[in-house]
Amino acid sequence: MREILSIQGLSKSYKNVRAIRNLDLQITEGQAYGILGPNGSGKTTTLSIVTGIIRQDRGSFLWFGKEPEASQRRNIGSLIETPHFYPYLNLERNLKIICDIKGMPYRDINRVLETAQLAERKRSRFSTLSLGMKQRLGIAAALLGDPRVLVLDEPTNGLDPEGIAEVREIVLQQVQEGKTLILASHILSEVEKICTHVAILKKGELLANGPVKELLAEDEIIEISCDNNEILREKLMDTPLVKELETENGLLVLTLNEKVSPAEVNAFAFANKLVIHHMLSRKRSLESQFLELVKEEK
Amino acid sequence: MRRLLHIEQVKLLNYNPFRITLGLYLLAFTLGLIIYPAVDKEIPVISLSDLFRFPDVWVFLTWVTEPYNILLALIVIMITTKEFNNHTFKTQLIFGLSRSELLLQKLLLVAVLALFATLLLGLTSLTLGLIYSYKLTFKIAMENTWILGRYLLSSFAYMSLGLLVALLIKNTALSLLTFIALRVFVDPVLFLILRKQELRWYLPMRTTTQLTPLPDLIEIFQRKLNSSEPINESAMDILPEGLPAWLNILMVLLYTSLAVFFSYRLMQRQRFT
Repeated sequence: MREILSIQGLSKSYKNVRAIRNLDLQITEGQAYGILGPNGSGKTTTLSIVTGIIRQDRGSFLWFGKEPEASQRRNIGSLIETPHFYPYLNLERNLKIICDIKGMPYRDINRVLETAQLAERKRSRFSTLSLGMKQRLGIAAALLGDPRVLVLDEPTNGLDPEGIAEVREIVLQQVQEGKTLILASHILSEVEKICTHVAILKKGELLANGPVKELLAEDEIIEISCDNNEILREKLMDTPLVKELETENGLLVLTLNEKVSPAEVNAFAFANKLVIHHMLSRKRSLESQFLELVKEEK
Repeated sequence: MRRLLHIEQVKLLNYNPFRITLGLYLLAFTLGLIIYPAVDKEIPVISLSDLFRFPDVWVFLTWVTEPYNILLALIVIMITTKEFNNHTFKTQLIFGLSRSELLLQKLLLVAVLALFATLLLGLTSLTLGLIYSYKLTFKIAMENTWILGRYLLSSFAYMSLGLLVALLIKNTALSLLTFIALRVFVDPVLFLILRKQELRWYLPMRTTTQLTPLPDLIEIFQRKLNSSEPINESAMDILPEGLPAWLNILMVLLYTSLAVFFSYRLMQRQRFT
């Protein structure tokens, strides 16, 4: 797979605030890469650096395996934070400027305006658009020239539920067409629905990254209790059944290893002459798992 | 280059404040030309229309037009600071212009406006010269046209300074105020403070205005009166002062290069959010 974006040791501070620290990321062709993190975790800073808006303090990044330069950005469709256009120009003229910058003919303008459902407003001035329409125009501009790579920073920000659904639909379609997507979001379900890979950021540091299925996989967690929890605990520790083991309010909380069922735990206890009289499944939701990941280092 | 110019053209031609300022510029230009000959009828013996004859018309009209350069600089300041206010520098960067191209775009705008103003001045001077001159030979008509080159340089210098102020301050109103204050307040005050020193001729704005000096009126009127006795010019105390022309031009070139250099540095370091 071709390398699209490779970030090495990227750091950026604003006065006393550390925005990102020593960030490493590798994104290859065809991946839909989510950058997930709460507000202020450094998502926008990261995307602003790789799209040339701000300069990093330390570290480097490569687009398509080469040193970054402006002409590469003409093959990338980006939307960073809210879209900004000339308020006194109509949509068509605004997009013509983008076409001129990218050095491409104007004929793609109608197509992207159709995709963003703004074709009827193409002669309206940008300043007359609603927030949702502005956001959709930002996406339309990113789609100009059908770039192979899309960089979207919170594309559904500030939209109503209908708008969110529409924008997600557009983005999903791009992913299905095989485009490489880099999507920053603080909404877990968004990343889960759209992305194949995810990097989780917190306070500018990379907490975890990998395929969505692995990283946000639902671990099986059960709580159990028997007459002698201490002995059960010791015995379980030496088995490959459990990944983690904690004691909580007199109960043993087990995180099971993959493909281990609670029945096997029960059988194991019984074989060791311990009768489990309490067993409850605690399925961790993705949301709580994400929150946990993000909370961990407090 | 053409691509950048085209982008700038789309932005400008649809921008109302630009249309208004350009309208004001053209109005000031024409009004001046209507008023001068009108005033002229009230002054006996010395006729201002003498100044509209070749070859003096080139120098005189350039001197009259030079203050309007401030309007051109205001256009550059407005269009540049608006890019910050609308965050459109950022948009252009994201979609593939480099920081150097952002600056080049504005420098091209400055060059086009300077050429436009020079062309306008040239055509007007030519027309007035043709109307008011008695003796019309090609040689006389073309004498003094060198002043157009100096005017081109002075308007480019003005607008580059305007561009630097805009990139430095970013806010439209503050940039406009700063620029106007530099021209009508800071420069004259410094000039007064330094009145006894040679240094006063090296002030950036002063060197620029000195590029297009007031024509030697005494000589012009003397010629008109055809007096055989030359007037003692130094007694009249309006002997042209300042730096030698070559040094003056060199200083303006130096200041303009500095303005462009600092604009480049600012553009490279700017955080476009």
